[in-house]
Amino acid sequence: MTADATPRPGGDPPIPSGSIYDLGYRGYDGPRLGRRHAVGALFTHTLLSCYGIGRGGRAKIIPFVLAGIAVLPAVIAVGLVALARQAGQAGEFITDASPIRYETYFEIVGQIVALFCAAQAPELLGRDQRYSVLSLYFSRALERTDYAIAKLGGFVVALLALVLAPQIILVLGLTLSSPDLAEGLGENLPKVPPILAQAVTLSAVFGSLSLAIAAFTPRRAYATAGIIASFIIPPVVAEIAREVTSRDISRWFVLASPPDVIGATNAFFFDIRPDSSVIAAARHPGELYLVVAALAVAACTGILIRRYQRISA
Amino acid sequence: MVGTRFRCGLGRREPHRDGRNPVPVRLGAPGARPGWSGDPRGPDRSPPHAPRRITYPSGVPLIALRELTKRYNGGVTALDGLTVDIEPGIVGLVGSNGAGKSTLLKILLGLIDATSGEATVMDLDVRTHGTEIRQFVGYMPEHDALPPDATATDLVAHLARMSGLPTTAARERTAEVLRHVGLYEERYRAIGGYSTGMKQRVKLAQALVHDPRLLLLDEPTNGLDPSGRDEMLELVRRTGAEFGIAVVVASHLLGEIERVCDHLVAIEGGQLLRAAPLDTFTQRTGLVAIEVEEGAERLAATLVGRGVEARLDGRAVVVDVRDEGFYDLARDALVDLDLALVRIEPRRRHLEDLFRDEEPGEVPAA
Repeated sequence: MTADATPRPGGDPPIPSGSIYDLGYRGYDGPRLGRRHAVGALFTHTLLSCYGIGRGGRAKIIPFVLAGIAVLPAVIAVGLVALARQAGQAGEFITDASPIRYETYFEIVGQIVALFCAAQAPELLGRDQRYSVLSLYFSRALERTDYAIAKLGGFVVALLALVLAPQIILVLGLTLSSPDLAEGLGENLPKVPPILAQAVTLSAVFGSLSLAIAAFTPRRAYATAGIIASFIIPPVVAEIAREVTSRDISRWFVLASPPDVIGATNAFFFDIRPDSSVIAAARHPGELYLVVAALAVAACTGILIRRYQRISA
Repeated sequence: MVGTRFRCGLGRREPHRDGRNPVPVRLGAPGARPGWSGDPRGPDRSPPHAPRRITYPSGVPLIALRELTKRYNGGVTALDGLTVDIEPGIVGLVGSNGAGKSTLLKILLGLIDATSGEATVMDLDVRTHGTEIRQFVGYMPEHDALPPDATATDLVAHLARMSGLPTTAARERTAEVLRHVGLYEERYRAIGGYSTGMKQRVKLAQALVHDPRLLLLDEPTNGLDPSGRDEMLELVRRTGAEFGIAVVVASHLLGEIERVCDHLVAIEGGQLLRAAPLDTFTQRTGLVAIEVEEGAERLAATLVGRGVEARLDGRAVVVDVRDEGFYDLARDALVDLDLALVRIEPRRRHLEDLFRDEEPGEVPAA
């Protein structure tokens, strides 16, 4: 096929400019960066493909719509506060009355994160299983565990970006719109550590849980249904348990409900009263929810790795 | 015979030459890649910084299997005490479906673990050095393995990075290798719209993109039409003969594989049937089937009586033709017996025929 155009030795007429000819196969003498590079590349690739970057236009619709919805309240809140502060005294009142605050934002964004997980996690793992691409991965410089870890890392960071983007807008917007910059910094900077802590907890719990579910089926619909169920059913069970059983028993059900655990760590980090009646009724110390969140992440990661150890490729 | 050590391969080969494809031969020893066995590469080819290159002591086979056994959980024995050495070259791994070819390739890649026995690739144990081996091995799986929504360029470049190539190098190599397997403008389109032949080319390209020292191809002509098969086989031949990459091609089609490889390793039921250079087989002129209207038994008996290796196969008598004189002999036998000849035709050799009388005590293919 390509060989016909190969330059021949001797005094053949010169090849006309613009024609394509075969240079022959060339070897590769450059560096081979090995396993670590491969894992890093897979991590980046995963992170980008969560937002459809590097894939077709249609793959970008869902993640960017969800990200837009997540960011929109923050933009509106900052805009309103800025306008109100222009108006003078009334500004402070509106700032205080605004329902969109650092500590309430995770409640708002939590639903969107759940939807993002349900939409993107099955795509992230199911695609490679569905089309048997795994054998192409596992026959390369990375191990099965590396694949699982890189996918998990990329996905959790993608969720972090989704969760933190609106909070960054809030922090910057509220700080810069403050009449006095020093005062604005003093008010908003102390909120940054709890924001980061809660963002990491939320992303790690939701991310590892969704991937641990998605890893078990190449079928997208099943994985999506499984992830949604894991976010919806446990809180309902916890709520029912609170109604029908004694408090001594029902208070433990809360710990098995990912959204409630996340709600409780939010209250713990921001040092506020949880607005969920289930969490309030359970009366667990905030630290317990942190431990449960950490255990959940560890368990889900373990399940994910184990799954990829055994999956046939 | 299990446990007998076979050695095949010549190490260095003359490149295949034919007039139709005057493609420039690589610098250095033709056919054998410099750097193979710790060979110093010519100074003109050395990059300013030394690349990480895999070397292993000369005298060590490229692939060495010792009593390799694989039993699946269901009780199926895919490999049964396989012991063989494979040297660089184009090696055909032949066997019927279920003979254990795919299992062997997957064990060499570390995709699955052997139940017992040892396997080394480039003097590295597949159990403990899987990652290092895989950096220098390309694998083309038998099954469809391409996501339909990705373009060939994106997929191959991504997989090149998964082999440890830096991003820029991965892109350059991808363009080069896709052009080499014969994908041009199509490479920017989604793979879902490709023909089977194009998909097979993408699979070959992803196996070649990191310039491996060893290429493991599992049924590369699967699902291709005759012309697609010819093109794929030509690509495989060029890869082995001109690019200086060692190739192991697994196939159940002996007729195809013998066109490109210089060595054959035949396995059946997970055991080694025979491993030898192809020329030891091609000295034979092959099998001829003589079909007669009736009396095939008498013909076979007569031919055997006259010193010809013949056996009965249905209505035909299959003869192993060793010299031209046979045809006169057959004609005389037909005349003597007064039989009605239907046809004489060369028979596509089957594995069993190929290995039938070479190893007398050998397990016949059940």
